[in-house]
Amino acid sequence: MAESRFAFIFAPELRERLLWFIKLRWLAVAGLVAASMVGPRIGMQSVWPSLFLVALFVAGYNLFFLNVFRVAEEHGQPYGNLRSCAIRQMVMDLLSLVVTVHFSGGLQSPLLPVFAFHMAIGTIMIATRIMYVLAAATSLGLLGLYMAEGKGLLAVHPVDPTRGMCGRACDLNLVALTVALFGIVYLTDSVTSRFKKRNIELYRTTGKLQERTTELQCLLDEIAELEQRKSHYMRISAHQLRSPLGTVQTTLSVLAKGYVDPASERGRRLLAGAIERVDGLLAIVNDLLELAKIREGRGRAPWSQSINVNQLLADIMDALEPLAAQQSVELVPDFEGVSILEWGIPPDLVNAFENLVQNAIKYSHQGGVVTVRLRATETSARVQVVDRGIGIPEAFRDQVLLEFVRAPNAKRHAPEGTGLGLAIVREVFEAHGGSVNVESEEGAGSTFTVELPLHFTPPEARKSLQLGNGSGYRPQTERAGGRPE
Amino acid sequence: MDERKTVLLIDDDEVFVDAVSAVLETRYRISTAGNGTEGLARVHEAAPDLIVLDVMMDHLSEGFDVARTLRTDPATAAIPIIMLTGVDQVYNVRMEVDESWVPCDRYLEKPVSPEELLAHVAELIGK
Repeated sequence: MAESRFAFIFAPELRERLLWFIKLRWLAVAGLVAASMVGPRIGMQSVWPSLFLVALFVAGYNLFFLNVFRVAEEHGQPYGNLRSCAIRQMVMDLLSLVVTVHFSGGLQSPLLPVFAFHMAIGTIMIATRIMYVLAAATSLGLLGLYMAEGKGLLAVHPVDPTRGMCGRACDLNLVALTVALFGIVYLTDSVTSRFKKRNIELYRTTGKLQERTTELQCLLDEIAELEQRKSHYMRISAHQLRSPLGTVQTTLSVLAKGYVDPASERGRRLLAGAIERVDGLLAIVNDLLELAKIREGRGRAPWSQSINVNQLLADIMDALEPLAAQQSVELVPDFEGVSILEWGIPPDLVNAFENLVQNAIKYSHQGGVVTVRLRATETSARVQVVDRGIGIPEAFRDQVLLEFVRAPNAKRHAPEGTGLGLAIVREVFEAHGGSVNVESEEGAGSTFTVELPLHFTPPEARKSLQLGNGSGYRPQTERAGGRPE
Repeated sequence: MDERKTVLLIDDDEVFVDAVSAVLETRYRISTAGNGTEGLARVHEAAPDLIVLDVMMDHLSEGFDVARTLRTDPATAAIPIIMLTGVDQVYNVRMEVDESWVPCDRYLEKPVSPEELLAHVAELIGK
C-alpha cells in the first residue's frame, strides 16, 4: 500500500490531525454535558444523568489519549503508533456515540448525523479499509441496539414519549444511516486519496530534486577543489621555474654590467652555470608537459593489448645494464610467474619502470645491488624495485611521489633532477588503474612497490582502434634533458 | 691587513653565490657557505659584518632557522642579515606560522639585481 510506504510523509500530518481531534472532543464533551442538562427541560428525562456520565467517560479517555500522545511525543512518533492511536480513539468515540444514541432516543436520536461526522474525520485520518470495517461495525452495533430495544432487553428512551415507538421510520433510518456511513467513507476517501497521491508525487519530486541538488553541490565542491589544486600546482610550478630563472638573470646581469669579464675564467664559469640552470629549466618544462599529457590522456601513445610485464622489465634491465655497470651496481631480476596486462601504454610503462630502476641505480652506493622483483598474481602484477642506497628521510617519505619534492640527501647525491620524475611515474601507474608506494629507511635503501591490475580497461582503450602487441617493446634509454628522479 | 668589511653569503645555489660574490667583491671581502650548518660555522670563523642568507636550502625554511640561531646568540645577534627568497611569502612556511618576527633586517625576493643588493648592503654596513 502506497500509504504505508510513504508513511513518513503522513506522520506529521496525522500527528496534527490527532491533536485537532483531541481538541474537538472537548467540544463533544461540552455538548454532551449541555445536552444532559437541557434534555430533561424539553421532556427528555433519559439524558440525565446518562449523557453526563458519557461525557465524563469521553473526557476521561480524552485525557488518557492526550497523555499517551504527550509521552509518545517525547520519544518521537512513529506513523504506526499514531495510526493505531487514531483507530483506538475512533472506536471509543463510536462506542460512546452508540451509548449516547441509546439514551437520546435510539434510532430516533437527533444525534445520529454525528456518526457521519466521525466517518469523515476517520477516513481522513485512518486507512479507508479500516473505516469501512468501522462503518459496518457501527451499523451492526446500531442494529443490535435497535433489536435489543425492540425485544425489551434494553430500556427504550424515546425523544418524545408522547409519540411512542418509531417503528417503520426507524427501520428506514437504520438503512439510510448505513448507506450514508459507507457513502461518506467512500466520498471522503475519493477526495482525500487524490491529495494523498499528490502528496506522494510531490514527495518523490522533492526527493529527486534534493538528490540532484546534493549531486550538483558535490560536483561544485569538487570543481572548486580541483580549481584550487590547479592554482596551487601552477604556483608551485611557477616558483620552481622562478628560482633558477632568478639565478640566470642575476648571473647574466653581473656579466652584462661588467662586474665580471665574460671572457675571463670566472666569466666562463658563470656562463656555464647559467646554461646549466637553463638546461634544468628545460627539463622541468619538459616534465611538466609530460605530466600534463598523461593527466589529460591526450597526445599519448595508443593503448595496446596483452602487455607482457616480464618482457618489459627484462628489456628495461638490459637497457640499463650499462648505466648500472658504470656505477658498479648489480642489477638482479627476481621474477615469479608471468604477468600479462590486458591493456597498457607500453612507452609510458617503459618510461615509468625505467625511471624507478634508474633512480634505484642512481641512489645506490658503489657496489650496491638493485633487485627488480615481479610477483604475478591472478589479478595483478606486483613489481618491486629494491635498492640498498641512500634511502629517503622519514619527513619526505610520504611526499617523494608528489611534484617537486626532493629530499636533501637526494639533492646532495644527484644535484640535477626536476623533482617531477616520480610524479610522472605515479601518474602513469594510476592511469593504468594501479598504484605506486614507497618504503624506505634513510641510509638503508628504498623499495618502490608498483601494483598493476591485469584487467583494467581505460575508457580511451575502448575507443582505441590500434590493437598492437605491447610485448617486446624496446625501452628508450636516452631522453632529451634526462629525467633522473 | 684587509680593511674591508666582510659579507658572508649563505646559499645552496653555487652559481648564484658566484655571481653575487663577483658584485660584492668590488667593495667587500666575501665568505661563502653552501648550507645552514656550514653557514653557522663560517659565522664564527669569519666574523662577518653582514650576512646574506637564502631562505630555502635543504629545508623549506632553513634560512629562518639559521637567522633565529644567530639572533638568539648574543655574540652574533647584532650582525645585520639580508634574507633572500625564491618563493613568495605565501609559500613561506615560517612566515605563516610566525609573521610577527622575521629575524632579519631586509627581506628580498630573488631575482636580485647586483645594484639593488649592493645598495642594501651599503645601507646596512656602509661602503
